[in-house]
Amino acid sequence: MEGEVKLHVLRYEPENDEKARYDTFVVDAKDNMTVLDALFIILSEQDPTVSFRCSCRVGMCGSCGMVMNDKEGLACRTKIEKLGREITVRPLRNLPIVKDLAVNMDPFFKQWEKIKPYFVPNAEASKDFAQIPQDPSRRGIIDQSLDCITCGCCYSACTLVSLDDNYIGPAALNRAYTLVADERDAATESRMEVAAGEDGALRCHTLFNCMEVCPKNLVPTWSIQKIKTKAVAGALKGGSK
Amino acid sequence: MERVQCDILILGSGGAGLFAAHHAYDLNPKLKIIVAAKGLVGKSGCTRMVQGGYNVVLHPNDSVELHFKDTLKGGGMINNQELAWTLVSDAPKRILELETRMGCFFDRNPDGTVHQKAFAGQSFDRTVHRGDLTGIEIINRLRDQLYAKEGVIAWDEVRAVELLYNDDNQAIAGCLMLNLRTGQFIVVEALAVIVGTGGGASMYKIAAPSLEKAADGMAIAYRAGAEFVDMEMMQFHPTGLLAENSRMNGGVLEEGLRGAGGHLYNSLGERFMANYDPERMERSTRDRVARAAYMEIMAGRGTRLDGVLISVAHLGRKNVLRMFPGMVDRCKDVGKDLSVEPVEVSPTGHFHMGGVRINKDCFSGIPGLFVSGEDAGGIHGANRLGGNGVADSTVFGARAGDAAAEYVTQIKRQKVSESQVNRFVQEILQPFNNETGENPFDLRKELGKLMWEKVGLVRNGQDLKIAIDRLEEMAERVSHCKVSGGKAYNLAWHEVLNVKNMVEIGRMIALAAYTRNESRGSHYRSDYAITDNENWYKNIYMTQNGAKPAMKIEEVQFTHMLPEELLGQTARIKVEAS
Ligand SMILES: Cc1cc2nc3c(=O)[nH]c(=O)nc-3n(C[C@H](O)[C@H](O)[C@H](O)COP(=O)(O)OP(=O)(O)OC[C@H]3O[C@@H](n4cnc5c(N)ncnc54)[C@H](O)[C@@H]3O)c2cc1C
Ligand code: SF4
Ligand code: FES
Repeated sequence: MEGEVKLHVLRYEPENDEKARYDTFVVDAKDNMTVLDALFIILSEQDPTVSFRCSCRVGMCGSCGMVMNDKEGLACRTKIEKLGREITVRPLRNLPIVKDLAVNMDPFFKQWEKIKPYFVPNAEASKDFAQIPQDPSRRGIIDQSLDCITCGCCYSACTLVSLDDNYIGPAALNRAYTLVADERDAATESRMEVAAGEDGALRCHTLFNCMEVCPKNLVPTWSIQKIKTKAVAGALKGGSK
Repeated sequence: MERVQCDILILGSGGAGLFAAHHAYDLNPKLKIIVAAKGLVGKSGCTRMVQGGYNVVLHPNDSVELHFKDTLKGGGMINNQELAWTLVSDAPKRILELETRMGCFFDRNPDGTVHQKAFAGQSFDRTVHRGDLTGIEIINRLRDQLYAKEGVIAWDEVRAVELLYNDDNQAIAGCLMLNLRTGQFIVVEALAVIVGTGGGASMYKIAAPSLEKAADGMAIAYRAGAEFVDMEMMQFHPTGLLAENSRMNGGVLEEGLRGAGGHLYNSLGERFMANYDPERMERSTRDRVARAAYMEIMAGRGTRLDGVLISVAHLGRKNVLRMFPGMVDRCKDVGKDLSVEPVEVSPTGHFHMGGVRINKDCFSGIPGLFVSGEDAGGIHGANRLGGNGVADSTVFGARAGDAAAEYVTQIKRQKVSESQVNRFVQEILQPFNNETGENPFDLRKELGKLMWEKVGLVRNGQDLKIAIDRLEEMAERVSHCKVSGGKAYNLAWHEVLNVKNMVEIGRMIALAAYTRNESRGSHYRSDYAITDNENWYKNIYMTQNGAKPAMKIEEVQFTHMLPEELLGQTARIKVEAS
């Protein structure tokens, strides 16, 4: 798609502005151009005070998550042509704004931290490479959910998170599940306590908002269901396992 | 001004920075360690962008000696052999640590053992990977593991701007930092500083690294007096994706595509590698393939976007989808289906082989200053093998962490020089005071074009001379850039600092390239198209000395292996540049 495109960009500096506003910029769009490219044009040619975040510019770092025409996505991989001639760009929801399009990811990572996102090797795993065939039944389950780039899009899109920011949210629960499913990890119990606990998986209403926006095509809802099942199975056996 | 004290300050959260943090903490959990990154911690830098994988000797039929030989051969025998040896002999420990302590899980063979794939320039298939996006797994796990270590404090979007000496100029006592979000300065007083900011190949018009990298670590180390080695050695990756009108331009299509049997064609449909390296064809080393592609483009046999074509369609659609899902996905972004059709690529600025001179414990020679990862030089000589980069950042990151943890127990705290702090702050704020001045984004564009055209893949004395002069002018012009708006999250202000650092390092690259009157590895001079094994087993060292770097040239120390043992009859004579 070529030609003029209007971008309405949310501007907000918590320190100085009472409320947020939208500034409109006109950019001459070219084939292949992404929202990130348009933002760079605005920054370098029209308004050097506009702020946004990016790093890899190829969908690997998850730094450029934002809401474009009301849908979460990565600015570096969202084509202008998909959005049309009028584009509204605002920062991720459910996270405080640092400035304009850049948000503070701390609440997201606070949830991430809660589920103990780190690997705790069992006695065997701590010695040598695990001998695990990469067949679809065993590693396949993990491999599908492992590619999370912590962009926060799902956290922004999740209705449950917006209702209650204690809810751990899709990405962190998805991370919890990849560790729970990992036969090399020894911390399942304590992790499940949080993941299946009062702020965890049971709150999920299976709305699939997360799946709809995940730029890596993950389905956190699915990991959350697994946690629920496992929690129920554990409860039936008695105890929190 | 905010003041913070810590024991170890780590700059950068790539493989080098995060490994340094883990190792320093493990050695002494009582230490106060800060990891500060210009981007988000664990979400910035190039280690995250590693696609192909990690070279490491694991298989009983492979050996550390073989990996060492491949590394020297790739490096044109001017590697620092101590460092190269350390790289290959430590790598198995680090990959094991990644799997057994950090929780990474690399791809497996059907029998459950770790899969290793073919990468160019290697005598054995030794590249460990997770699919074709290996770096995400490595960095995510390194970051996750930090949550188990409370003694490590992570600072997002706090940028190092200048190293600080103590009052009598004897040792590094800290670092002046700038919080991107607030625009406020922070003086960090540290017993040791580890620099791991990952180079600045992004100074080239077409380049692969993440956008925030701007040679910052190198530039601040340079201004603090560190010594540099072989700055002319700049690697171009042969297959940067061409994405017209987009910043995606130059993003890498991984080397595994060629390893798996991909073909390269010019616009006439010729498999041009037949004319450059008929034996190894597309599996030749990076420097050769990149230059071959460049020469085709320059000879008018390039595509509309000034590129060549890579094709893997003949491997079968299913295979391509299975082996390279990430690459297929990326090509979709430019409207191409890699599994069935050729895709336009160009050489792209990628990696610094040159950098700060270190010993194998990453010590820079300046008390308190350790350097690791891409900011350090000498390990890869004239050309880095694909897959040796993450090995480098993890191996030397770990060593820097160990060494710094050891060092800080032996010294006492120093006060930072206040006069230095004041001077730097004034300098950095200057762009806000300039009434008129240049747009830093335009200046960066100009720099990219200049470096690409005059200090790029094929160089000559005349062009380099022009570049040296123009870079000198640009260094002056950066100081006249003008910035408006507030200080908080001011990207234009940061761009001024970026350009300043890239110009500084670009000057070293141009000057070293002008000095090396031969072709070797990634450094090719069309006016000296020979590899001069008679006179040029030498390293070029530079340190700051007023406006221009001071230079010294020294013989390579062959501490482990003589050129004869690797190159036989051609070891000491001039040969046609390969
Ligand atoms: C696209 C691509 C693909 C690659 N593929 C491979 C591969 O398959 N195999 C391989 O071995 N190597 C590969 N490499 C090379 C490899 O990525 C690098 O060798 C290695 O990751 C460098 O690690 P590092 O820790 O030194 O720096 P990086 O990982 O780049 O980290 C730099 C860090 O420093 C931060 N930083 C920058 N400036 C400042 C500052 N002023 N203050 C504070 N922080 C700062 C950044 O935000 C970042 O956190 C690839 C590189 C690229 C670009
Ligand atoms: S699950 Fe998907 S949307 Fe959520 S943080 Fe991870 S990559 Fe982003
Ligand atoms: S900039 Fe890294 S995902 Fe967009």
